[in-house]
Amino acid sequence: MANPNEFILTAAGIVKRFGAVTALGGVDFGLRQGEIHALCGENGAGKSTLIKILSGIYPHDSFEGTLTIAGAPAEFNGVADSRAAGLAVIYQELALVDDMTVAENIYLGQEPTKAGRIDWAAVFIGAAKLLEQFHIRLDPAAQVRKLGVGEQQLVEVVKALSKESRILILDEPTAALSESEVAVLLEILRNLRQRGVACVYISHKLDEVFAIADRITVLRDGRSVATMDAKQTNKSEVIRHMVGREITQLFPRRKPLKSGQTLLSVQNLSVDDSRGRIRLSDISFEARGGEVLGIGGLMGAGRSELLLHLFGAYGTRTAGRVSFNGRELNDPTPGRCIEAGLAMVCEDRKRLGLILDQSIGFNFSLSSLGRLTRMGLVNRPMEVKRNQDIYRRLAVRAAGLESVMTRLSGGNQQKVVLGKVMLTEPKVVFLDEPTRGIDVGAKQEVYELINRLTEEGKAVVLVSSELPELMGMSDRILMLSEGRFGGMLDRSEATQEKLMAAAMAGHRPITGNPVTGNPMTEIP
Amino acid sequence: MSETATLEIKSLAVRDFSLAIALALIWGFFAAMTHMNFVSALNLSNLAVELSITAVLALGQLLVMLCGQIDLSIGSGVGLMGGIAAVLITRDGWGAGPAMLVATLVALVAWLIMGSLIVWQRVPAFIITLAGMQIFRGLHWYVINNSTVPVAVGGQTNLMSLLTTWYLPKVAGTILAIVVIALMAASSISSRRRRREFGFTIEPASVAFGKFFVLLQLVVIGTLICNQYRGIPLSALILAATALLVGLLTGHTRFGRYLYAIGGNEEAAVISGVPVKRVIIGAFGIMGLFVALGGFLQTAYPGSSTTTIGESLELDAIAACVIGGTSLKGGRGTVLGVIFGSLIMASLNNGMTLQGLAPEVKYVARGIVLALAVLLDVTMAKES
Repeated sequence: MANPNEFILTAAGIVKRFGAVTALGGVDFGLRQGEIHALCGENGAGKSTLIKILSGIYPHDSFEGTLTIAGAPAEFNGVADSRAAGLAVIYQELALVDDMTVAENIYLGQEPTKAGRIDWAAVFIGAAKLLEQFHIRLDPAAQVRKLGVGEQQLVEVVKALSKESRILILDEPTAALSESEVAVLLEILRNLRQRGVACVYISHKLDEVFAIADRITVLRDGRSVATMDAKQTNKSEVIRHMVGREITQLFPRRKPLKSGQTLLSVQNLSVDDSRGRIRLSDISFEARGGEVLGIGGLMGAGRSELLLHLFGAYGTRTAGRVSFNGRELNDPTPGRCIEAGLAMVCEDRKRLGLILDQSIGFNFSLSSLGRLTRMGLVNRPMEVKRNQDIYRRLAVRAAGLESVMTRLSGGNQQKVVLGKVMLTEPKVVFLDEPTRGIDVGAKQEVYELINRLTEEGKAVVLVSSELPELMGMSDRILMLSEGRFGGMLDRSEATQEKLMAAAMAGHRPITGNPVTGNPMTEIP
Repeated sequence: MSETATLEIKSLAVRDFSLAIALALIWGFFAAMTHMNFVSALNLSNLAVELSITAVLALGQLLVMLCGQIDLSIGSGVGLMGGIAAVLITRDGWGAGPAMLVATLVALVAWLIMGSLIVWQRVPAFIITLAGMQIFRGLHWYVINNSTVPVAVGGQTNLMSLLTTWYLPKVAGTILAIVVIALMAASSISSRRRRREFGFTIEPASVAFGKFFVLLQLVVIGTLICNQYRGIPLSALILAATALLVGLLTGHTRFGRYLYAIGGNEEAAVISGVPVKRVIIGAFGIMGLFVALGGFLQTAYPGSSTTTIGESLELDAIAACVIGGTSLKGGRGTVLGVIFGSLIMASLNNGMTLQGLAPEVKYVARGIVLALAVLLDVTMAKES
């Protein structure tokens, strides 16, 4: 810190305790004017706590250490203080009002008024200007509910920028974005950097971090362990700092020697959504025991919709046949699918995976209570024994089976969803973005679990928007393109270029922004 | 560390016992205001009958609220089902048994229809049961022809009138109380032992004993007082059986787990394979059965069906649930909490009537208690 004036934001010696638990045990962090500074660390490393301190959610007298903004000491007592100092945070969980338009959301809480009434013309014109400024082709009058998750994320970014922020903190902004949307976001950030906006960028995706960051700070166990120039380090060094050990193999896929018989067969499947629009047309594939079938595609390609439909939770089948383990699976419901031996882990685990107010044990058993019921009553000793087995097998880190889900980190929550699914003893497992928003260590455990499932002869269908993960873990990859078959590639022949070409196979030529070139996703 | 731990235990204990403390205050107040008439054997026997009506309905409401729904129609349903049974007995000369059976079936069908409309047509429960409230009230008045219809002909007794007039012989009552206390102690000890075997955290022995002690007091004092009058009323036994049944359903069956899951996160429950629609319809079906039971009790208590039977009982039931810690959003609530909540509501109603308070005062007082209970619940939830 030769010249403190060039730092727009510093945090020195930050220590934050919750009762007897030390969440941060000494963090030093400096953000320079006009830089993009990535913050990396496993879940539980203290990133969220640090953000809450920087943004004033934890008032200045609740922690030790000092914050400065542009060289002057900063004592925040709430979010309003940090906002006044020019700091804006974009959280992983979207904070948009679904029923309002894009423009209304951008100006929410700071509506321009004329004679005491909201000046709607200024709202919509202002929003349109902001969107144009960042080359985002979204209709300011569109209802947020009807946008895809990625588009919503971009609205959130614009909303933060509308407040003339000097400092922007992004917490996992790309967790829900497709590759093309990530590109748009990164372009926006580069744009901002040129205008002198400083940015703290938090992400688990190291490819992105290296694509955009000037410097990288790694947090581990509540301490800042290293700050490096992005140009002078590499992924494996960052990972080593994050986990405190070397991870030699990112994708440890072990294919069983012989593949089993066909468990799931889908022929010429076409599906309409609830409003009667075509979402999937003429999809055919099969999944064999012992293999991982990857499914890729751009946002809106229909990956999640395909899995959810097969699982009986989305859309209406207009054509095609699905058979599971040799038997026709007509008129599926999640209950019937689970009974037959299908299981599904959804992308949005908080919304579709967990009963957050309940305990780990409650969630573990939820899908397999039928196996535990004797004469109408749930057999508790049997239930607890099964739950304890899976708890150990998945190495869930929590205070015990009775811990409430809300207290668990993302990775551990995901393990509980996986445990719930495994307890149904499935033959085919659908995994929709199983590593989204979880840390490197937990990712490894999920990959390991996928290996074990296939070694037990199960078929795994893996949907992922991260191409390296898709290529690293799949034996074959089905690419979808706008609800149609885009290509089927074997592991050995798959390259990023070929996969992207397949993903675009069914596309109309794209003009302008890829975000708006895609049809909007309908999330059921 | 030890300091925070002690604090945690203290706040836990306060929360667990807050209802018992509130109840003690209410009883003390009414006892003082009514020259101890409130705690006389006669009045407490009456209170036991009134409690059983409120609590049976509240336990049904608990099932409905756990899965995130609400039922506003139970008050007028109580009137209608009691009215149907009374009319069949008095006007058509039916036996009390068949008359109550028919009324029960009517209630079951009506509630299954309401449940089905809610899940299949996606009409909010609030609206469907509000409609039910009006329809049942109208049908009730139509059935009894706006008159007073006794539940038994010419002062005789029958199965229906006995519901609130039969008492367990005193010796049998005493034996029953001892058996109940022994069972409570055994189940408390065995559940602690089992939790230890599972490796779960066990609440401090002092808290566990405190809880047991409060329940023990309730049983002992209740039995002693009832025996000073005519013994334990049948309706109290009906309540005990209902509470056991609902406790079994919510705590030890798939159906119960599914109720909590649906109330906690309906979408996740669907994906987890929970038959959401069937479970919600089932909850309403059971609610219907309890409404019929509550209807017979509530009509037998004054001895006849009149147009005012069942008035605002739905609000008492909802209030009892909320006071007992049941979440209006679903997914949270216990049988024991609901029993305590019912006891508070029944005590308030009984005490204010005994004091001879005007209805306008009673309405305001009940409203304030409900608001306070919710405020307390919200603050507690924030702190934890």
